[in-house]
Amino acid sequence: MSMNVQPDLDFIRDMKSAGGDTLKKCFQCATCSVVCPLSSDDNPFPRREMILAQWGLKEQLLGDANVMLCHQCGDCTAYCPRGAKPGDVLGAIRAYAYKHFGWPAGLANLASSGKNLPVLIAIPAVVIFVMWLISGGMHLPTTEQFAEVGYGHFFGHWDFRLLAKNVFFIDLIMLPSAGLALYAAYRGVSAMWKKMAESAGVGEALYRPSVPQFIREFLWPSIVEIIEHTRFKKCEANKDRVKGHQPLLLAFLALFFVTVYSAVSQDLLGIFIPSLHGPMSLMNPVKILANVAAIALIVGIGILWGNRSRAEQEGQASHTFYDWFLIWMIMGVGVTGLLAEIFRLIGVVSLGYLIYYLHLISVMMLFLYMPYTKFAHLVYRTFAMAFERYRESAYVKNPLSE
Amino acid sequence: MDKVYGAYLCTGCGIGDVLDVDGLKAAASETGVEMQEHGCLCGAEGRAMIEKDIADKGVNSVIICACSPRVMKNEFDFGENVMTTRGNLREHVAWAAGPAVEGEEESEGVDEFLQEMGTDYVRMAITRAQKADLPEPFLLDEINKNILVIGGGIAGLTAALEAAKAGYKATIVEKEDTLGGKALGWRKMFPTRYPYAELENPTIEQMIADVTGNADITVKTGTEVARIAGAPGQFNVTLKAAGTTSEWDAPARVTVDEQDLIDKGEMEDPNKGLKPYTELNPDGETFGAVVLATGWTPADVSEFEHLGYGTIKNVVTNAEFEKMAKEGKVPARVAFIQSPGGTDNDKDFPYCNSVTSMVALKQARYVREDNPDNGQAYILYQHMRTPGNAELFYKGMQQEDGVFLTKAAVTKVEEGENGLVVQATDTLLGDDLALEVDMVVLAAGMVPTTLDEPVINLAYRQGPAFLDLDLFDGYADSNFICFPYETRRTGIYTCGGVRKAETMEETMDDATGAALKAIQCIESANRGVAVHPRSGDMTYPEFFFQRCTQCKRCTEECPFGALDDDEKGTPLPNPTRCRRCGTCMGACPERIIGFSDYNIDMIGSMVKAIEVPDDDEDKLRIAVFVCENDAYPAIDMSGMHRNRMNRLVRFIPVRCLGSVNMVWIKDAMSSGMDGALLLGCKWGDDYQCHFVKGSEIANKRMENIGETLGTLGLEPERCAVRQIAISDYDKIPAIIEEFVEEIIELGPNPFKGF
Repeated sequence: MSMNVQPDLDFIRDMKSAGGDTLKKCFQCATCSVVCPLSSDDNPFPRREMILAQWGLKEQLLGDANVMLCHQCGDCTAYCPRGAKPGDVLGAIRAYAYKHFGWPAGLANLASSGKNLPVLIAIPAVVIFVMWLISGGMHLPTTEQFAEVGYGHFFGHWDFRLLAKNVFFIDLIMLPSAGLALYAAYRGVSAMWKKMAESAGVGEALYRPSVPQFIREFLWPSIVEIIEHTRFKKCEANKDRVKGHQPLLLAFLALFFVTVYSAVSQDLLGIFIPSLHGPMSLMNPVKILANVAAIALIVGIGILWGNRSRAEQEGQASHTFYDWFLIWMIMGVGVTGLLAEIFRLIGVVSLGYLIYYLHLISVMMLFLYMPYTKFAHLVYRTFAMAFERYRESAYVKNPLSE
Repeated sequence: MDKVYGAYLCTGCGIGDVLDVDGLKAAASETGVEMQEHGCLCGAEGRAMIEKDIADKGVNSVIICACSPRVMKNEFDFGENVMTTRGNLREHVAWAAGPAVEGEEESEGVDEFLQEMGTDYVRMAITRAQKADLPEPFLLDEINKNILVIGGGIAGLTAALEAAKAGYKATIVEKEDTLGGKALGWRKMFPTRYPYAELENPTIEQMIADVTGNADITVKTGTEVARIAGAPGQFNVTLKAAGTTSEWDAPARVTVDEQDLIDKGEMEDPNKGLKPYTELNPDGETFGAVVLATGWTPADVSEFEHLGYGTIKNVVTNAEFEKMAKEGKVPARVAFIQSPGGTDNDKDFPYCNSVTSMVALKQARYVREDNPDNGQAYILYQHMRTPGNAELFYKGMQQEDGVFLTKAAVTKVEEGENGLVVQATDTLLGDDLALEVDMVVLAAGMVPTTLDEPVINLAYRQGPAFLDLDLFDGYADSNFICFPYETRRTGIYTCGGVRKAETMEETMDDATGAALKAIQCIESANRGVAVHPRSGDMTYPEFFFQRCTQCKRCTEECPFGALDDDEKGTPLPNPTRCRRCGTCMGACPERIIGFSDYNIDMIGSMVKAIEVPDDDEDKLRIAVFVCENDAYPAIDMSGMHRNRMNRLVRFIPVRCLGSVNMVWIKDAMSSGMDGALLLGCKWGDDYQCHFVKGSEIANKRMENIGETLGTLGLEPERCAVRQIAISDYDKIPAIIEEFVEEIIELGPNPFKGF
């Protein structure tokens, strides 16, 4: 079966503008495939992806699980004799894929370009500001109140059907954002899975794993692998990235736990036990975890920030909006969160409220744009890793016919 | 000349440490020449000693027993009236002594075997001096310094311009009615300067203008060469209108057997109506040297049926595409197929060299230039060859959007709904490809004009064409790695497409080289000296015709066709065609050919000067005739590396193995030596012989002498030939050792002492 070649010249231009400007330099020597741990004898990765990209064959690339499996460790780029930076090209392909699989398309396109940055910031800023206006909470608390309830009265202080008004408004903002993101991610991952299955030649399987089977056999081992950073640790050129990414990931997990705990205790139990409202004591183990995680988050993203700057200075990576937008967002969330807490503790109301507003904006951005920015790797790569296990499993490969 | 000998022994560089100096001097005295010693003969003091003898005693024949003749040439040059002969005691004896062999007794004083080597080399050097004479150059009565350039394309134009710039008159003969050749049809030229990114406008029009406006260049269009007779400095050239025949057309080669048949009336004379090849045309033009720049023709690619050339519209060759690009706009989607693909898929199209890779890149640029929005150029290759700075052009093209490169084996070109479909397998993309394009361009190669026709049309005894061009796929080239521009016809130099598939830029360099070679040849002929590879050699073969038996071996075997013959078959030498290899001397059974400082008697006497002990079975003697071009320097290098050399062999330098006359082997064997070995260059497809055929001819002669030895009751294995490359210096001691072992196995020569 031969491939009907219809090069997409626009795709090539897209690649070049999204950090893959070195793409055409590749002359297929396959040094990258020699150093890449993902490469195998019959699948010279990323050598083959480089020429597919050069030829503008986007369909082949979108269904290529390896593109998503790449951790951009940078070994290929470090050894490339031609300066083609395969690592960056793969990043650009992923950026293109997130945009391609993204839904709704308008939002996906918006989130993929640096020139839209003001709009990207304006959307949550306006939404939150409008909600603030609607909530009628437009006043600063006294220092005493501030010390007692913290930012708990940001959106006003009356209760709304047993639910704290503040919690209600925050849920009103964040839950739809997160919901949209989750739905978009689900659609995207499904589309990606279908393409990957097609291009890997996985036909209709005789037996399909059930959801629990899928989670147990494919998804959970992938998540464990992600947390342990086993693949990251195989990187040579960019070893230090583990030092940044691992604390960052753990911080996210911890903060996720803290958020869930806080949501349960304040939004659920708080309905019945009002004293659970308000800031937690600094001695509360959950609060300790939260603070440690916040610091880990800032340190982790700081290390990644430094690594990336250095790599760019050394010419080992290209400067792209795609890479930096996520770093900025996470740094924004971490720094505004921590500063808001500090201002609360030292009782600076006005500045505290402003920072808190910025914190809400950055958190909403992180949620809302998750499926279209580099943050999307959170779901796409996880499922690609699950797919990698799946395609090698007995569901796909008949062990009797091998 | 009356010779006054002066022999000098250098004891420096370790010679005096391993050899008995008095013994060496005594060996010289025995021959009647007294030898003086000095600790550093090449130093000012040593040379002053020699110069004093030349001034005071009238010494005119200096014998230097010191280092290799390949070094210290200027130090031991005492002017043109003094002949210097060298004996190689350093590289061949002292430095070849090697470290003491384990188990061998640490002998007190001088090793007997080594000392015998030393005395033999002293005797041989003195013998050589006694048998040599100062050469007198052969000078033409009249010399013509004009250069004939055949072909008015980019190569010919460049050669003529360069010759004119150097102060020589040139005549361009072009068979078409206009100058310019194929270059007129090319849209762009390759980049010639950094960053090698942009194609350049052709300079051919300017070159034509320069040529036509140059008073030193005569242009004859619509003209062909009927025949070239004569020799460098005096070529007698007959020109004729293109496409006509003339009684002065070059005669075909007629072998001795064919001539017999013709004489008996059993065969038609192929040269009927033509003037005999020995006759000079009184109306012919005279030239000093010839540059052959007749170029190439596009290769026929219709044999590759799966590619559809000739049957499918819009499948064209690169040459046709170039013409299209020159005349107008090229299509937007074009596939450039660089190799025939199919089952034989690693091979490129024949005659392509690196040119077709370069041309495909250039033409891909046309596709992009003419279709900036949607131009798509696919280059499907097995090899991309972009030598030198062309790599930068390749890089630039590779990075251009819309240029798609992949290694691929094209399996089929067929008509599709929307143009042509190119099917390819084994691609870098992993899958088989089906490319939809508007046009397919096949990378046809450049077939040299010398493939099917003599082109040069020589009136030589060995025929009108260059010999053995099948070794080079028909390209007019002798071994181009060692001798670019040289052909096997002295005074005729090739350049451009007739020599090698090359780009216009390479052709210009090439043509400049050929023009300078032609000038060099004329000036060498003018001074009566040889051209490459024995540049500056003043000797030339002299014949003692009274004893010639007209056996024609010399005329047949001369690799350069220097010898014509008269009606009886007596050789007619053309000294300016001669390269001085001595193959004629080696061939002559009557031994009537020789050079003033290199002849049968001299080498024979040197062989006889080797002392052969007839009562010592350990002291076998083996004469080794060593080619001066590669084998001799390799032995020198072995010495410089202090490799131990077997002490039973004696090296005798020869100009080329082709010059080895079998009488020397007989001399060696009859003087009781136990074996004879010839060391020369490689022969065959990748020959390295500086005179093309010498080592091959020598090998044939040695096979024949083997049989002769057999009839005498001597083992044919006592005589052998070994091929040595100049880089084999580390292997030589082992090669020699192995041969000596074989001789030891055979035992001493049974005729020893008779």
